[in-house]
Amino acid sequence: MKPKVAFFDFACCEGCQLQIANLEEEILGVVALVDLVEFREVLTGHAPEYDITFIEGSITRPEDEERLKDIRKRSKILIAFGACATTGGVNKIKNLRNLETVRKEVYQDDWNKPHLNTAPTKAVDEVVKVDYYLHGCPINRNEFLSVVKDLAMGKVPRIPDYPVCVECKLRENECLYDLGKTCLGPIARAGCAAICPSNKSGCEACRGTVPNPNKNAMHEVLAKRNLTVEAIIQEFTMFAVNPEVSK
Amino acid sequence: MDFMQISKKDFQKFVENLIQSKEEVVGVVKKGKHFAYDILEKSEQLCLDYTETILPPKKYFLPVEETLLKYKTGVASSYEATYGKSPKVIIGIHPGDMAAIALLDKSFSEGEKDSHYLNKRANSTLIGIYPTQSFPHRFSNSMIEKDAYKAADCFLVDLGNDYGIEVVTEKGKKIASAMKAVAGEKGLNEKIAQAKAKIKDEVSMPFSRRELSEFLHNKETHAEWKKRAEKCFSCGSCVLVCPTCYCFDVKDTVALSLQEGERKRMWDGCMLEKFANVAGNHNFRKLAGDRLKHRIFRKGKYIIDKFGMAGCVGCGRCSQACVANIASPVDIVQELKK
Ligand code: SF4
Ligand code: SF4
Ligand code: SF4
Ligand code: SF4
Ligand code: SF4
Repeated sequence: MKPKVAFFDFACCEGCQLQIANLEEEILGVVALVDLVEFREVLTGHAPEYDITFIEGSITRPEDEERLKDIRKRSKILIAFGACATTGGVNKIKNLRNLETVRKEVYQDDWNKPHLNTAPTKAVDEVVKVDYYLHGCPINRNEFLSVVKDLAMGKVPRIPDYPVCVECKLRENECLYDLGKTCLGPIARAGCAAICPSNKSGCEACRGTVPNPNKNAMHEVLAKRNLTVEAIIQEFTMFAVNPEVSK
Repeated sequence: MDFMQISKKDFQKFVENLIQSKEEVVGVVKKGKHFAYDILEKSEQLCLDYTETILPPKKYFLPVEETLLKYKTGVASSYEATYGKSPKVIIGIHPGDMAAIALLDKSFSEGEKDSHYLNKRANSTLIGIYPTQSFPHRFSNSMIEKDAYKAADCFLVDLGNDYGIEVVTEKGKKIASAMKAVAGEKGLNEKIAQAKAKIKDEVSMPFSRRELSEFLHNKETHAEWKKRAEKCFSCGSCVLVCPTCYCFDVKDTVALSLQEGERKRMWDGCMLEKFANVAGNHNFRKLAGDRLKHRIFRKGKYIIDKFGMAGCVGCGRCSQACVANIASPVDIVQELKK
């Protein structure tokens, strides 16, 4: 029997599901391996249980937590899908400021309407247990395919636990630090083929960090490049990587 | 060793002809503000006046990622080895990198021969060149002794309008005659020796490589490892750029049909945190300090003890690549000496 697979989205841009839709021919191969029962909310709630559930987006409202918990109960394997889900992603920038200020800024006069209620952003694993993570903003299609294949074969999916510098070196890029720029590559989790440094733009750790990031050393390196503490914190915060530096 | 010579103009003509003959010719080219080995499409791209390339030329014999065999899933007898191609000629290898290739030749022929490496290696002719520019991190002279001549087919030495050629092997002889290089005039070998000595290393290892191995003998528990490791990212850059590193990981990748697959190997490195992770989630080099110590022992002791060859050829790439600026073997040894 093919595993039943479902996709659900929460607060996100749906860019990660778009990556799946963009698989083109390969999508047929995926459909041959798995039974896609929920995709893009079209069929929400119809299948009672799922073998593999992908959760896209971060959790930003109390009612979403309930919905997620219900999905978790009905899922054998639950995978956080994309940066919004794995780390909270860009949505977590909101948590750095007062919630009321944020709401007023975004919703203006309507900020206090009940349907626009919002809570501090959470990553999926802050609400329910997550079995596997597919990092990235957006996710990497090849990584998605390899996770699907591994699960279909009953293998434990392996995601990179080494930093972006590895992939950057293997592509023989000029290091951005040698070009007077900065980059979080040494502490950021790989899996994207170092796409940003390969295009001369510093990594912002959209895939989160490696399991034991040496943040002090990163701080020191950035400080040596004359970055102020504020600039360092900014460098770290795009994708909710706690800088752990004091102002 | 024979000494020959060729004008730079004729050498370029030779390279151009080689490219035109549809052979794969690799040489050093500019890459932004840096340098890299790449396939030449025109002889003008070749840039022999260079500091150091980002990655060493070993990538042509031990590719960053290569398929070792293909198989049908569930059919044990179905596997078939696959062999990639290597360039016919590689031009511009510095002595340090040449010595590193000599080490790889040695280690990939020990015991079970690594046919994937050795097949590619046998196919290529290696043209070296003595550096014409200093590179602030290089200390090859204190490390490589004569190892470079165990791998080079010939070496070029910049003599201004001409290249002097040291012809080392039969392959070297063949390529020198293909270039129409001429036998050296009187005094050429002195001229070559002078030109080779012109570019001095800006740093140097305070020991000969034998002495270094002895010096490291009782340094396993030195406080420096832990102290230095506080700044280490375990990012692996220092080992991934190293010409003498030969560690790889092996991984099976199956097609979406799940019917067929490929076994690939890709570069790996001992400075990465999970490199020494084995079954049961045991890591026998858990701490960054242990990994840093292992790297230096491997470069400065284990290899010289095992093969009598340089485990570090002093190319200086690790020092250049380390974002934390802590990887230089010379700096580390200086600290251990204090
Ligand atoms: S991780 Fe990025 S691409 Fe994916 S849904 Fe979130 S914002 Fe969109
Ligand atoms: S550019 Fe960034 S990712 Fe690449 S090697 Fe340098 S620090 Fe690492
Ligand atoms: S380089 Fe960094 S920011 Fe860019 S995709 Fe990779 S992990 Fe994300
Ligand atoms: S020594 Fe430098 S290059 Fe090597 S792993 Fe540590 S930080 Fe990375
Ligand atoms: S240890 Fe450093 S200097 Fe020595 S061969 Fe490797 S990269 Fe070059």
